[in-house]
Amino acid sequence: MKIFFWRGVILVGLFGAWEILARQLNPVLYVPPSAAWPAVLRIARLEAFPEFPTHVVVTLWEILVAFALAIVTGLGLGFVLGLRRFLGEVYEPILSSLYAIPSVVWYPSLMLFFGLGPASKMAFGFLLGFFPIVLAVLAGIRQVDPHLITVARSMGARPFPLFWKVVLPAMIATLLAGVRAGLALSVVGVIVGEILGSREGLGSLVNYAYGLFRTPDYVALVFAIAIMVFAIDGAAGMIEARARRWSG
Amino acid sequence: MRDQIVISGVSKTFQTASGPVPALAEINLTVRRREFLTLLGPSGCGKSTLLGIIGGMVTPDGGVVEIDGMKLDRPDPKKVALVFQDPGLFPWRSALENVEFGLELQGVPKTERRRAAQRLLEPVGLKGFEAKYPRELSGGMKQRVAIARALALQSPILLMDEPFGALDEQTRLLMGEWLLKIWATTKTTVVFVTHSLQEAIVLSSRIVVMTARPGRIKALFEVELPYPRDLTAKEATELRAQLWGFIREESLQAMEGRV
Repeated sequence: MKIFFWRGVILVGLFGAWEILARQLNPVLYVPPSAAWPAVLRIARLEAFPEFPTHVVVTLWEILVAFALAIVTGLGLGFVLGLRRFLGEVYEPILSSLYAIPSVVWYPSLMLFFGLGPASKMAFGFLLGFFPIVLAVLAGIRQVDPHLITVARSMGARPFPLFWKVVLPAMIATLLAGVRAGLALSVVGVIVGEILGSREGLGSLVNYAYGLFRTPDYVALVFAIAIMVFAIDGAAGMIEARARRWSG
Repeated sequence: MRDQIVISGVSKTFQTASGPVPALAEINLTVRRREFLTLLGPSGCGKSTLLGIIGGMVTPDGGVVEIDGMKLDRPDPKKVALVFQDPGLFPWRSALENVEFGLELQGVPKTERRRAAQRLLEPVGLKGFEAKYPRELSGGMKQRVAIARALALQSPILLMDEPFGALDEQTRLLMGEWLLKIWATTKTTVVFVTHSLQEAIVLSSRIVVMTARPGRIKALFEVELPYPRDLTAKEATELRAQLWGFIREESLQAMEGRV
């Protein structure tokens, strides 16, 4: 209760400070919450953007595809490289150095390859989400205590049960943290992609509202995106808790 | 057929970055059914390597180990179970689930393996700790769970690699007493590795003294004192002096790094 109370206090304080500050400044550039709220309602009533639900669906679909691809290839490549030590030694430095390059620099070429439609956003979301997942798998495999492998082997464990009953549960926390980071970055990739150039999706609405100086609508869109991200992260958190329970 | 394990001409050299390190040279040894055999020697004399070879965990460079006349080229819980100095409990499994692990690998149904594991936690004095996780257990308790996990396999041979080496002196003595009880009731063969003279005298029916690197067998002692053993008895102190005589030189070598 106490925690919720103080969270409430902080939230009210922040909005209050924002309101006071924004009122002193140019209303076209600085939108106070009192002006943002009507804009939120106009979005909810589909007055600001009549096609709003379609845009939400497009963005969610792009995120889903990007993240699914990131999981499948991230886990797949991670386990292949992590469990085959030679391949890992060859490829891991390449992966790490690719990860160090700011990913946005790839986006223009993705647009050239995949066009302005959803495909280039999916590709960018995938690219951003893939790295934390593959690197988490590699780190997770490395952190498995080799003595546990010895113990399991001494009890006659063959490679497959060894993987399911020892390696995977021993690394699950790292793996899940990586997958969750991957999800967050897939969302970022898709929305950044939409903002940088597209005709559909929440990011394109952001770009549109911003371009026309419809600043209150822009702020309201930010709220909408925040709500969507909270929902996605909350769902991911629930799945993560469940997987942790499985591993004990 | 009194000899259960026959070790003939076993040798092993490890290739390390600083050149080959001979660990074992020409080991010939037989282990009898239901005996408590202790391999005693200074650190780094290859005792653990020998144990690993018997258990099928390490492949020897030369020689063979036969268990009941059969060569073992990979770990087989139907023949041997291993206990290590580090209990190596799976931290994400409760005490009970740890004990179940080996049975799970063998595909024993859940209710059955649960019952078997429960039965095993009782003699190891961990009744009531079934649901505890390794981090909630003391060092001695962890090692007892690890031993229960090995016993669950019902292997005829139990190989123990300094199982009490990481425990404090008092716990160590009590664990020794407790292990003798387990040994008496389960009727398994025990091959036990230690560098503690006292532990060897209290526990063993036979003691093999090994040399420093490369490990060779230096002497063999039959210990015919009745259990439970009194370390202050004349025979025990004599045995201790004898063992020390053999092992002193080896330990000195190991200590001075001439290995």
